[in-house]
Amino acid sequence: MKQRTPVITAAISGIVMLAALFFQPFTAPYLGLVLGWAIILSSVALLVAIASLVVTHIRFIVKGRKGFLFSIILVISFLGTVSLGWYLGLEDPAFLKGIQSILIPLENALMALIALVLMSAAVKIFRVRGWSILTISFGLSALVFLFLNLGFVRFDSNPALSQLVSSLQHLPVVGARGLLIGVALGALLMALRVLFGQEALRE
Amino acid sequence: MSTVDLLLLLAGLVLSLMVFSYLLGDTLLFGIAMYTLVGMTAGFTFLVLLQKVILPMAIYPLSTFPQTSALLALVPLVLSLLLVWLLFKKSSKLSGIPLGFLGGVVAATLIVGVTRGTLVPQLLNIVNAFDPNKMSSAGLPNWIAIFEAFMMLVGVLAVLFVSHHRKNKVKQDAFSHSWLDGLSGFGQMFIGITFGAIFVGLFSTGLVALIAYIQYLVDFARLW
Repeated sequence: MKQRTPVITAAISGIVMLAALFFQPFTAPYLGLVLGWAIILSSVALLVAIASLVVTHIRFIVKGRKGFLFSIILVISFLGTVSLGWYLGLEDPAFLKGIQSILIPLENALMALIALVLMSAAVKIFRVRGWSILTISFGLSALVFLFLNLGFVRFDSNPALSQLVSSLQHLPVVGARGLLIGVALGALLMALRVLFGQEALRE
Repeated sequence: MSTVDLLLLLAGLVLSLMVFSYLLGDTLLFGIAMYTLVGMTAGFTFLVLLQKVILPMAIYPLSTFPQTSALLALVPLVLSLLLVWLLFKKSSKLSGIPLGFLGGVVAATLIVGVTRGTLVPQLLNIVNAFDPNKMSSAGLPNWIAIFEAFMMLVGVLAVLFVSHHRKNKVKQDAFSHSWLDGLSGFGQMFIGITFGAIFVGLFSTGLVALIAYIQYLVDFARLW
């Protein structure tokens, strides 16, 4: 009973939107308007999520929960960024430079850390999942593509070898295409379930 | 270099060094760096959404009241207020209306986007590989193109079969067909190859970032 309102709203808005998308030259103004509303609503949903995150951490600080030091850091950095950005303006060069000089080194360091963590994860996969078709093909593929991507050996002089390497480089496309089609079919099914009122959105 | 620039550079350096403390098993310094990143990113996103989307698209049009554009801007404003109400009352029935609207619009866009943008082009690529013009060169069969086309078709079918077969296998473990297991294994092989290639891509990017970071440290040391 409680979930009837979002399910009915989703079904009606989805079917109307789908009809508008199909009859596009005639429905273009309506489509732009509704998409604008959807952009505003998704932005508000993101704002609500951010506000909820900050409120939760303020609650942790008030209650003195374990690890509340991290919550203090999050709240200070959030409030500092918002107040500085509000005061100086979002496009102020000094503000943007300040944000960049903190965020870019942090993101670069995280990306560099990923290289090191991935290396240990690749070894762990054999320990955790054992030797199977999936793990063996993963390991072999990683070795082969690492070797090919390093570019130490050139195959241009030998056309047959060059053709073989080109065919090898097509192999990941097969799996990626299969996965992509699988994900697309799953998403399509999920969207149809929402339109036919079979999916409880609040869950 | 001004004092502010130097301080900002130092702050970036210290925070990024804190990230690497993860390798030593330290959670305090790593946590400080991560929560700073999350807080600043959330703050910046908050500002961008407010100043670039909410104010110009939902609030400023209201200044032209009672024109049609202002009346139309009232609809997302009311729906937004219902959504914000979620912060105060999580089980509110009314908050389901904007969520439902958003869900419906996303579902409809997804149906059109996925069909036109993913399914049709991907399926067409598989079918186009069987184009007779591609399968022959100078009147002779192009065996490599033929092999690649069949490999693509069988590989994609096998990958799609993997999850279906795994689900059914859990349901009826004793009932197993060897050819179905073989097809599933073939699909798993292609998934492994794809993940291996993606892993190499990610690893190379990480390695480049590591080299750039070392360069950043060297540049900082050169300041003195």
